[in-house]
Amino acid sequence: MTAVQTAPGSTPAAAPERERRGRLTTQQLNEAGLAVALVVLVVALSIAAPRFASVANLWAILGDAALVGIVAWAGTLVVVAGEIDLSVGPAVAFWSVVLAKMDSSWGWGLVPALIGTLVGGALVGAFAGWLRGRFGVPSFIVTLGLWSSMRGLAQFITNALPVPIDDSSFMDTLGGKIGPVPTSAILMFVLFAVFAFVARRTTFGRSVFAVGGNARAAMLTGIRVTRVRVVLFALSGMMAALLGIVFAARLSSGNSGAASGLEFSVIAAVVIGGTALTGGRGSMLGTLLGVLFITVIGNGLVILGVNSYFQDVVRGALIVGAVLINVLLSRRGGAAAT
Amino acid sequence: MTGGPAAGPDVVAGAGPRTGTGTGPVAVLAGVSKRYVGVQALSGVDLSIAPGEVRALLGKNGAGKSTVIRMLAGAESPDEGTVTLGGQRLDRADVQAAQALGVRTVYQELTLIPDMTVAENLFMGNWPRGRGGIDQRAMRAGAERALQRIGVRVDPRRPVGELSIADQQLVEIARAVNDGPALLILDEPTSSLAAAEVEQVLQVVDTIRAAGVAVVYVSHRVAEIRRVAETATVMRDGRVVDTVVLADTSDTDVVHMMLGVSEAQTAPVRDRGTRGRALVTVRGVAVAPKLADVSFDVHEGEVLGIAGVLGSGRTELLEVMTGLRRPDAGEVQVDGERVDGRGLAAALRLGVGMTPEDRKNNGVIPDLGVDENIVLTDWGAVSSRGVLNRGRLATAARATIASMSVKTASPRSPIGTLSGGNQQKVVIGRWLHAGSRVLLLDEPTRGVDVQAKAQIYELLRGLAAEGKAVVFVSSEMDELNLVCDRAVVLAGGRIVAEQVAPQIETDKLLLAAIAEQPGGGTR
Repeated sequence: MTAVQTAPGSTPAAAPERERRGRLTTQQLNEAGLAVALVVLVVALSIAAPRFASVANLWAILGDAALVGIVAWAGTLVVVAGEIDLSVGPAVAFWSVVLAKMDSSWGWGLVPALIGTLVGGALVGAFAGWLRGRFGVPSFIVTLGLWSSMRGLAQFITNALPVPIDDSSFMDTLGGKIGPVPTSAILMFVLFAVFAFVARRTTFGRSVFAVGGNARAAMLTGIRVTRVRVVLFALSGMMAALLGIVFAARLSSGNSGAASGLEFSVIAAVVIGGTALTGGRGSMLGTLLGVLFITVIGNGLVILGVNSYFQDVVRGALIVGAVLINVLLSRRGGAAAT
Repeated sequence: MTGGPAAGPDVVAGAGPRTGTGTGPVAVLAGVSKRYVGVQALSGVDLSIAPGEVRALLGKNGAGKSTVIRMLAGAESPDEGTVTLGGQRLDRADVQAAQALGVRTVYQELTLIPDMTVAENLFMGNWPRGRGGIDQRAMRAGAERALQRIGVRVDPRRPVGELSIADQQLVEIARAVNDGPALLILDEPTSSLAAAEVEQVLQVVDTIRAAGVAVVYVSHRVAEIRRVAETATVMRDGRVVDTVVLADTSDTDVVHMMLGVSEAQTAPVRDRGTRGRALVTVRGVAVAPKLADVSFDVHEGEVLGIAGVLGSGRTELLEVMTGLRRPDAGEVQVDGERVDGRGLAAALRLGVGMTPEDRKNNGVIPDLGVDENIVLTDWGAVSSRGVLNRGRLATAARATIASMSVKTASPRSPIGTLSGGNQQKVVIGRWLHAGSRVLLLDEPTRGVDVQAKAQIYELLRGLAAEGKAVVFVSSEMDELNLVCDRAVVLAGGRIVAEQVAPQIETDKLLLAAIAEQPGGGTR
């Protein structure tokens, strides 16, 4: 992925060769460091709690990781563009509820309901992106509004009760496993490949990096900044709707309380992965490692029997710690702290 | 109590003697030399300013004016020589000490907080405290006194952001004067003002001088300087050329002192006799308050220089030409189609490319590689159906890097790691990748070293030879004859002079650019 280096113009032509290797090292440090931390964490937890290392639990961890990962890839692009999407948690709950309603209460049938959910998710996201791109309402505020209203609407139309979904082999498979592997984990990895490709190899992905790196300059070169932002949030909204479908499949119902706090897990994973909140640089692989990292911690704390309230404390501390180490590493790598 | 700005109505009057030297000079530079890495900024500068004197400081960009200001303000210490303020020698760079000796500086960039009121800004960080917080009444009364003292009528309760730029500038000056300085340094106080607003600032300077404060006044506009100052110190290449009484000196003399003997590093452009049809026509463009009536053509195969000092409206003109800004009147056509007011996309489609003046903030995308910074003007050529083709991207990037002779370790190095000159070449090169026919270059050589400048001139000559229409906007008159086939001068909202190679004479251009009359915008 792209650079983790130098404030613009800070080092005029300073030994470009060394500069370049330094940049690779910084990036590798970020990701390698995270990978090492992950391995250490897994080993330590395996020793502390043998149950953790069971094959079934490791598959379960991947299944849980999918519940963050499926939206975190689009979330990475959102952050790279210098934006933020706080609405993903409520959006997941909302679309799981709407899917269940469409499928059972409103009698749409499963396939139209699935399509309706995905399209609806994209449209709501596009609307948020349009408010941001066309009128300049900060995405933090737009998605904060959605965060509140989508959860509220989901609870309003369901009275906060689960909405059951008609049985179907598709939903059973989606919520279950293929062989030993949770279907959601497979979906997560497929989407990871797609988004990694989009980020690196498509004109849209590179435009996202350009807009995040310097929106004014990107605009002056003719990049349609508003369109990039609309598509970006549409993607994020669509992935949230997709995760809503996965949630509905796993719970066999639409649930207005689902995915509470998901937006913060996504942001944490993205930031732990080395993506700058200021935009312009970021790494999909880093986010994958970040997602696994926070999922392993969550799983480990449960298995260790840590008090569930205290789990949040530990999680918070570890997230800040991980980002602190990231920042220190990249500073050592020569990047200006900005 | 706070540090005295609210002290009383007679602060200005009492300012001179504050340093206790009576009628001696307020500030003296003696034999001051300063060297920065690779550049001799000042060599043996002598300067002496008396109380109540308004001294103009003149010189081209890079002549050493800013360094002199920084010496007087205590922001810099000389390698050799001495800085003496109010009879006391300043022996190291110490802004606080210089301020204590009565020096205040108003820089070009405003430092006011737009959302706070005029009164709050006047007492920034030094608000009169009463019981339970800031004493609003005392602050407002103090602000009224401070504004009245320099004859400015602004409601101290208004947020600064609501004021015109001119009024903001006056508030900035009022704040500096409120501290009762012995020496007030004004660094291009009128550069961002329309001609009609300039007079307000000049009157304020008169008032300040009448109160016995010495003023160092930096400006490019000679007419304005004549109006406000009796003496001018002209600088060139880090030296003081002379200090003259303005009444006895003609504009032409001033220009000659500023330019000195031509120090051409490159041969001036010789007339090539051939130029193509007019590709860009600009007719009667007006943008209040900067541009009144601007008309000119740009032909295929020529480099047209547009000379104008800071604030002459050159940026607004380019914005109109790229469709970014809707003019109040007039029109711009590219190849027979209108571009004004139709948005950037329309201009780009017609083959217009623009490189902004502020390369760092509006030009480069620092974290992206050189290659991507080039191709983002036209992804289409290096992708199919939205998927990038790495081979074609690398080829396109290499082609541009080679044709613009960009020095980079690898095409994929982040552009932020390149020198300013190389960044500029990339920013120009991206429009060649897009196949632009019209290149509008806003100050393309700013912040670029001498060698890279010469390379850029050569590149632009090459582009013109290929038939492109190149517009080269610059405030440095002495580079125009090195690169332009034709040069026009933008001043007072109009084109006031035009010269054609090989008869582009730097001194005439500069004379036309700086001799603009205050209030001449509607002349």
